[in-house]
Amino acid sequence: MIGLEQYILVSSLLFAIGFFGILLRRNTLVMYMCLELMLNAANLGLIAFARYHGGMGGNLFVFFTITVAAAEVAVGLAIIVALFRKRQTVKVEELNALKN
Amino acid sequence: MPTEIYQKIAETNTWGAIAPELALAILALSLLVLEIVLPKVAHGVIPRVAILGQLGILAYVFTTTCAGTCVTGEAFGGMLSFDNTGQLFRMFFLVTSVFVSYLGMVSLENKTLPQVEYFHILLVITAALMLLAQASHFVMLFVALETATVGFYILVSYFRNQVVSLEAGLKYLIMGALSSTILLFGIVLLYGAGSNPALAGSSLDPLNFGNLGVFLSANSSDSLALIGMLLVISGVAFKIGAFPFQIWIPDVYQGAPTPTTALLAVASKGAGFAMLMRLADLFSPLGEWMYPLLSTLAVLTILFGNLAALTQRNLKRLLGLSGVSHAGFLLIGVVAARSVEWASTAVMFYLFAYLLASAAVFAVMVHLGKDDDSDLTLDDLGDLAHKNGFLGMALAVGIGSLAGIPPLAGFIGKLLIFVAAFEAELYGLLAVAVIGVVVSIYYYFGILKSAFFEVWRFQDDDEETPEEPVPGASLRFFGKVAIVLAVAGTIVLGFYQNPLSSLLGG
Repeated sequence: MIGLEQYILVSSLLFAIGFFGILLRRNTLVMYMCLELMLNAANLGLIAFARYHGGMGGNLFVFFTITVAAAEVAVGLAIIVALFRKRQTVKVEELNALKN
Repeated sequence: MPTEIYQKIAETNTWGAIAPELALAILALSLLVLEIVLPKVAHGVIPRVAILGQLGILAYVFTTTCAGTCVTGEAFGGMLSFDNTGQLFRMFFLVTSVFVSYLGMVSLENKTLPQVEYFHILLVITAALMLLAQASHFVMLFVALETATVGFYILVSYFRNQVVSLEAGLKYLIMGALSSTILLFGIVLLYGAGSNPALAGSSLDPLNFGNLGVFLSANSSDSLALIGMLLVISGVAFKIGAFPFQIWIPDVYQGAPTPTTALLAVASKGAGFAMLMRLADLFSPLGEWMYPLLSTLAVLTILFGNLAALTQRNLKRLLGLSGVSHAGFLLIGVVAARSVEWASTAVMFYLFAYLLASAAVFAVMVHLGKDDDSDLTLDDLGDLAHKNGFLGMALAVGIGSLAGIPPLAGFIGKLLIFVAAFEAELYGLLAVAVIGVVVSIYYYFGILKSAFFEVWRFQDDDEETPEEPVPGASLRFFGKVAIVLAVAGTIVLGFYQNPLSSLLGG
């Protein structure tokens, strides 16, 4: 039987995978995908809590987070593309114009 | 279908109460319309329209402060709640945005970049921050915060023909999105804890601050809520640049266009503290865990900010790191607010003093007349006082106030925070703060030294010396008024706190 705990476990796992992905991966696009993973982990958690505890607040919140994520992707990819045109790379270690 | 509940919610939609935000949104849109309608030669008028419009809205907000007849209490079904602090934060963000509009006008001049969009996005960010400061529901808080943050991404990478600006934008994007996601996951856990029907005080809408407060005081050691609180506080700590979430600050401050750096330094920090003060209130049942956490953050932030700034030569990185230590001082105020009621007033005062001082310093920076403003170092300030006394004076007052030199507003701000910490018996924090202030004097006076004393430069007579930028060449009447206002505000608030404190107390 799948209960609330299982959903929250999966959600937390997704969140952790995304978080460590951002810390460890060096490709900007992959890091960006990890961010999306974390947002979706939050969405899964919201829906699971709303389903098992009753109430619509969580379901409604998901619509807002999806919209926000879409806006963020639009701007984020634009920045990544603009930077790629200048530098021909999306690797974090090669983006080192800013330093002491 | 029970339609009464919807009717009841709709009755609380008091649109008049958010008139300033609506007016800002309309102003932002009308700037875009003006760009289409006006002939190209008249486009220079658009930034002026933006500034005048904001001054009008500021005057409106000022006349409707809670001394007279302002709307207080919850509205929009509990999404927003209006009070005196929210009104003050409205003014804070509007004043910031007026200054940043002016800085943007100067630094976008003679650039082959779209101009109007900068002001458009700036106004949208300001409106979002004003709503953020008055949010009393996590959905509202998150959406307002993200509206502002996505706008910040664009403004940081606005100079899209410069690699540094884009790189700063990318770093801010990754870090900002990461912090928002951490905040969001914290909200999810709080929602999960607060909506659990098996626990006392649970409700169907636990994202409302009022409902969540009831739940938290009934279950002050619920582990899910505790983790949620921890994640939410971490997300906010990213925004204010508290240690260990300050890693983005030096790079982003350096690469961003100078007006955006000013906006990040002042408005983003102000927004973080607007959130933190409301959240600290909300999480006070968990205070046993939260206040030690905030105190530790404050200590580490002050020490890190000041020590890292010591060796810094780049002006924008230096100001960023000094901003980190200011966030530490402000955190002490938030911690002190637990037992000393007026400490939140001290935090507000400190923020206003920081706003005025930063406005003066950043205004000097855009007028130094250097093309590439990302590698502005202390050497570029050389002899500023001789080349342009007016700018030198503004820099001296601004830096003096940031350092906390007695007759200026920054000193009174620090003093109020320290007295609050003393009354709250936070002696350890107070000791660290005093050490922080002493260390900060060193690098602040380093800035003044390079601006006021002659720098010896190697002169080769055979070689032609490259043409040096003239500081203050772009300074016009408007700019002089803006700088004089910031400087005068800093000095007046240092001697005479009544105007602001009556607003704060009212």
